[in-house]
Amino acid sequence: MTKPNTGHINPQESAASEIKSYATGFVISLILTVGAFAALLSDLPNTWKVVVICTAALLQIVTHMRNFLHLSFSGNQSREDLLLVLFSASLLAIMAGGTWYIMSDLSGRMHQTGESGSSSHRALAAYSNNGKPQQVWLSNVPLSRN
Amino acid sequence: MSENSLYPGLNLGDKHGDAHVQAESTVFGFWVFLMSDLIIFGILFAGYASYLDPIGLAGGPGPKELFDINSVAIQTVLLLVGGVAYAGVSLTVKYGHGRGNLVAWLLVCAAFGAGFLFFEVRDFISQAGKGGTPQVSGWLSSYWTLGGLHGIHVFCGILWIFAMIGQVATRGIDDVVKVRLSMLGVFWHFLDLIWVGIFSFVFLVPLA
Amino acid sequence: MKGMTSPIFGNLDWTVTPYTDLLQQVNSSTIVSAGAASVLVLGGIAVLVLFTWMGWWGPLYRNWLTSPDAKKIGIMYVTLALIMLARGIIEGFVIRAHQATALGTLARPESGLVSPDHFAQLFSTHGTIMIFFVAMPLLIGLINFVLPQQLGARDMAFPVLNQISLGLTASGAGLVMISLLLGKFGTGGWTMYPPYTGKDFSPGEGVDYWLWAILISGMGSTLTGMNFAVTIFKKRAPGMHFMRMPLFCWTSLCVAIMLIYAMPALTVSSAMLALDRYAGFHFFTNDAGGNMMNYANIFWMFGHPEVYILILPAFGVFSEISSTFSGKRLYGYTSLVIASMSIAVISFTVWLHHFFTMGQSAGVNIAFGIATMIIGVPTGVKIYDWMATMWRGRVRITTPVVYLTGFFLLFVIGGLSGIILANPSIDYQVHNSTFLVAHFHNVIIPGVLYGMLAGIHYWFPKAFGFRLSETWGRRTALLFVGGFIFTFMPLYVLGLMGMPRRSPTFQNPDFMAWMYIAAFGGVLMLCALASLVWTFWTSYRNRLALAVPGGDPWNGSTLEWSTPAPVPEWTFPRIPHVDKRNDWGEKKRAGDPWKGPETYTDIELPANTALGLLITGGSFALGFAMVWHIWWLAVLCCLALPGLVALRGMRLIEPKIIPAAQVEEADRRFRQQVASLAPASRADEETERNRGVPDISEFAG
Repeated sequence: MTKPNTGHINPQESAASEIKSYATGFVISLILTVGAFAALLSDLPNTWKVVVICTAALLQIVTHMRNFLHLSFSGNQSREDLLLVLFSASLLAIMAGGTWYIMSDLSGRMHQTGESGSSSHRALAAYSNNGKPQQVWLSNVPLSRN
Repeated sequence: MSENSLYPGLNLGDKHGDAHVQAESTVFGFWVFLMSDLIIFGILFAGYASYLDPIGLAGGPGPKELFDINSVAIQTVLLLVGGVAYAGVSLTVKYGHGRGNLVAWLLVCAAFGAGFLFFEVRDFISQAGKGGTPQVSGWLSSYWTLGGLHGIHVFCGILWIFAMIGQVATRGIDDVVKVRLSMLGVFWHFLDLIWVGIFSFVFLVPLA
Repeated sequence: MKGMTSPIFGNLDWTVTPYTDLLQQVNSSTIVSAGAASVLVLGGIAVLVLFTWMGWWGPLYRNWLTSPDAKKIGIMYVTLALIMLARGIIEGFVIRAHQATALGTLARPESGLVSPDHFAQLFSTHGTIMIFFVAMPLLIGLINFVLPQQLGARDMAFPVLNQISLGLTASGAGLVMISLLLGKFGTGGWTMYPPYTGKDFSPGEGVDYWLWAILISGMGSTLTGMNFAVTIFKKRAPGMHFMRMPLFCWTSLCVAIMLIYAMPALTVSSAMLALDRYAGFHFFTNDAGGNMMNYANIFWMFGHPEVYILILPAFGVFSEISSTFSGKRLYGYTSLVIASMSIAVISFTVWLHHFFTMGQSAGVNIAFGIATMIIGVPTGVKIYDWMATMWRGRVRITTPVVYLTGFFLLFVIGGLSGIILANPSIDYQVHNSTFLVAHFHNVIIPGVLYGMLAGIHYWFPKAFGFRLSETWGRRTALLFVGGFIFTFMPLYVLGLMGMPRRSPTFQNPDFMAWMYIAAFGGVLMLCALASLVWTFWTSYRNRLALAVPGGDPWNGSTLEWSTPAPVPEWTFPRIPHVDKRNDWGEKKRAGDPWKGPETYTDIELPANTALGLLITGGSFALGFAMVWHIWWLAVLCCLALPGLVALRGMRLIEPKIIPAAQVEEADRRFRQQVASLAPASRADEETERNRGVPDISEFAG
């Protein structure tokens, strides 16, 4: 797999190894997909279902990058491309994780936790009881900053 | 894979000379652009998660009422097979197996992509029938936006495939076309990658 | 406007122009808006007449609008930015003039030059224009012009894409401009926070103008970022390692990274708001599970990196000029590189400080407050590095150095007020007040505006072959510094006195003294603008005396100074080989830097194309159609834009070949001219003896 791919090697051999790589990726992806769906339909506790689904997703993403997008730590350039992916992933983690941190904190303070936000809790109750949307956010209009 | 790999996706290899070198900056640039696209999807994922609560659902139908797990499984398989089928395109270009094979493989990819779209649109229609339109709640807005954006990407991918078939027909498999096929490959595999996130986090996790 | 949507003209009809308002009611507000529309119309007509009269259309089309040359694209970006800057400064002046007359009484609460709604449009367009259509095109233009030359590259990695990016930015700017004449602009400030900007509270075309201008130009900026990144990664001259790149290239790389990763957030938040407005989605509405806090969250995920997108190129410029104009090597190159990259990454972790008061718990605020204070550290490192660069150097007080000095004095104040605001408990006291307005003008004007104007002054000879007048340049710089101080320092005081920002009126007479001072500052800013225009005009008239054909007027040390001024289309007769950091300076120290290459080869350049122009027209029409609900046109554009790209893909495009003989002839002529010109020492830099050939016995910084 890590042999230099120059014009000198036998193209048939190289094609065979490439086909093998795609096939491996396909089989692993299929197993992981089936695993994720099976976990959902199984009798596992909910937490474990989520853990299995997330793990399968991460592994499958890694498989796709390795076997279909051909990113790896071997070879200068594909290492650079992989580092780019990892950099993107870390920035994405900051953005998505930050969003989750901020929005769940806000939502905790504004609606859901029973002790701290009793008035908004009532609003929520009223909201879900009659089933019709109401303006529950009005008192919390954010003040604009630059 | 190989030491002289210059860009993401299956490399053309040294045999292809100029095309291989040209592809370095072009495919790399496209890859950078896809990273930007990845951020768009990532923010939509985070948004989807933040709307997935009783407030965001706003009394409208939720995941349990709307999602059809069988259809999601079919879509997943179609897209996965369609993605792997692009290996046929890449290898045909790399080893020069001719225009006929190339167009055939491209059509296979397009067919699987179209199959995926068929089931996705069918789902959207049936969800709308069950009262799950994006105008009902914040959560449904974000679900339709995220799923729809991915669907639009697949649709664009199919259009691109036909544009490439047109180019193969009119100008043959020259260097520029080879580079563009490499970009298309990266795009097509990238869509698969996003779908892994969608079926796991959009469909399966909320159902768990 | 109020009637049915016409299938052909959408919501457009004869009542949308400000002249209708003027006919209905004559007051200062309608006169101002009709006047602005008239300036737009008359200006357009004047340009049409002038270009037709002078026969400039052909050359404009052939040499500029269809050119994929990054240098020309850069100049066009800067021109666009300067036109928009004129509108932005005038609007800023009207805002100041309004507030100086806005003291209301209990009997008559509304007062002032313009109506409250008009005032809201003014601060919205002022902010939108200054950020997206002045600062962004200025820095992108400057990077386009300078980056390939400093890297030793012939062009950007994707020249045609570059042209398209410019086109997208220009059509966004066009949408904002046309809103002067047709309809109204949004009134939600440059951030356009929902739910106020949702369909319920802001019906009509105003917010849509903003949305489409932002979506279209944002797409252009993303593509630009990608282009810069690939150029830096793949197009450096042989031997130009990362740690040999001039600092401006490093800051361009940071800008590229931030454009790539931050612009998507803006695209997402604007697209979500557009879906809310056009398709009845509920992302940010009050009802049905919408959450407008998420808009603030996503918008500022873009917004904060954007601040550093704006400031970092200026840091790059200051790094170049502090070294060149003190004749010393840049102090602490490595620390500046590390500081720039840290700023680029940390800037993604601080966005919440724009909405400390949104209601999240103290823990969240503290986390982001600390991150905000941390980002001040690398910025401080940079300031010290530049001061150390100038320390004991032979500093010449040229225009860029005047800007640099103004920047040192004022930016530090702005940065410190930022550190104050980074403390959430203090932020709670002054948020949404003019203290904040003073703070961000205090970083953006000395940072971006001074930096970019210094850069324009510095590289102008490279683009056009003659220097700008130093006398007028310094006057302009001093006016901008003075104008800033008088306009914005009072706003700090007013903010602490409790004056809310964006307020069309107020009832506290104590504010008035400060308001008058600020309005006087506004007058100074207008004078600075006039002086800037005059600088260009007077320098153009004296272009023979100011010509610098030798190409190196400031005794610089980076690669771009090794070529003639104006720089030829192909930039380098042969791609240079780089051996050291500050390669050109080292060559001058080694003696005989102007040795030509032994052999010349044919040069391949991308062929001119009208694609960018077509995309500009198409995207402008798309935005305009969406704003006015002209659906047939929108559909047509949606089909035409990808169609254009697909059609181009079908064609074989031959590059333009410059024959070796032509390059050789031009290059030999340049070498002979350099040999014939008398070298000018630093003492003669501002005189007519400076012909662009420096005295190489002096140290080139």
